[in-house]
Amino acid sequence: MKMKIVLACLVTALFAFQADGQGFVNKLKQKADEAASKALEKKAKEKVGINDDDNNQTPDASGSPSENASQNRNRPTNKGGGGLVATPPDVNQNLSDAETSYKAGSYGEARYAVQQAMLGVEMQIGQKVLESMPASVSGLDKVGEADQVTSSGYGWAGLTIHREYLKGDKQLTTTVANNSAMMTAVNMYLANGGYAQTTNGEQNWKQTKVKGHKAIIEYDDSSGYKLTVPLGQTSLIMWEGVNFTSEQDIMAAANSFDIDGIKKMLGEK
Amino acid sequence: MKKISIICFIIAASTIARAQDFNKNIADARSSYSSGNLEAARFAMQQMLTDLDMAIGREVLKMLPEKMGALASNSANDNVTSNTGLAGVIIHRDYGAGNKAYNLDLMGNSPLVASINAILSIPFMGNSGDGTQKIIRVEGYKAMLQKSVDETTKQTDYTLQVPIGSTLLTFTAPNTTEEEMVKMANTIPLSRITKMIQ
Repeated sequence: MKMKIVLACLVTALFAFQADGQGFVNKLKQKADEAASKALEKKAKEKVGINDDDNNQTPDASGSPSENASQNRNRPTNKGGGGLVATPPDVNQNLSDAETSYKAGSYGEARYAVQQAMLGVEMQIGQKVLESMPASVSGLDKVGEADQVTSSGYGWAGLTIHREYLKGDKQLTTTVANNSAMMTAVNMYLANGGYAQTTNGEQNWKQTKVKGHKAIIEYDDSSGYKLTVPLGQTSLIMWEGVNFTSEQDIMAAANSFDIDGIKKMLGEK
Repeated sequence: MKKISIICFIIAASTIARAQDFNKNIADARSSYSSGNLEAARFAMQQMLTDLDMAIGREVLKMLPEKMGALASNSANDNVTSNTGLAGVIIHRDYGAGNKAYNLDLMGNSPLVASINAILSIPFMGNSGDGTQKIIRVEGYKAMLQKSVDETTKQTDYTLQVPIGSTLLTFTAPNTTEEEMVKMANTIPLSRITKMIQ
């Protein structure tokens, strides 16, 4: 009996010691990890030239530095790099590259060069279209920094030209899209216009004409007016007016654009 | 001998004619651009892209095997279609005839590429439990092999799809075995095709 009690005491003491020992080892491991990460952090800071003065001032409740804070401190934030130079590709150079690659049988390279040349031409077309647009429309001035020409250089994905006019809370956005997938939807509207107009309970859109060109005008209480004019086979011009007082107001704004000139610049018939 | 000479002459003549198209279009693009006619320059460049797609397609056809297993290619059905549109260039070759006809197609800018790449990149998605779909490697390229069994005839058909950049190569072979399918797929020079189309 005595022997049994002694044995039980021994087992209990062994487990207690083991548990205590494991806790001790874990603590030791934790301390070593902390020390190692601190040393690494310090080295990294020295390399990027960050002052370490405030490092010891941000301990969390347990006394160790906050993990999130140390992660954030390791990531430097960008303080500006001048951005990218928006230079369109050199068309002549790319055409010469295409010719050389074609003669050498490197058709993939030739294709890339032609795409770059096309991108260059499309950017120039876009700039010409922007130049042809009025500087102010219905008392709204153009927002110069919002002028945008987007081209993929693939020929099919489209050339998009964007301009905004703004005064107070009244805004006009103009988008010219060439080789646009949107054309399918617009042409469907125009082709099936009669049917849709007679079945629509509330008149949210209708067909109209802008400078003799067939157009679709839409109205939505939240987004305002939208006027779309298809140009030739694959292009369109679209105006979106916010806080325009009436249909006549947006029509007058659209009439100040040289639609025929834009159509010609895009090579549309 | 006379026939071979005539065929060689026709091929040479058509190649020269195509090169002339490219040269004519590049001359048009240059002159239109220098005269400020940007839209005409752009149109000529679109034509150049078509010329190049056709040239690439013809080169790829030259690389494709003349035989797939025991079946010889039907050179009369060789086809290259260039679209300056969403689909990109389409290259086609077929082998054999009737219910033992294999089809090999390459489609540029294929809309299926993204979904197939997703399947290829997630290991547990690529291999189905019933053995109807598995991921294999052909010349080092990951490919999706699909099997379909006809309920009544018990005929086994296979389809292999290999994405190469934005181009999708599809090889379909009815009434064959997996072993034969893999063996045939390995005769397709994927590395050379990749180099040509990219």
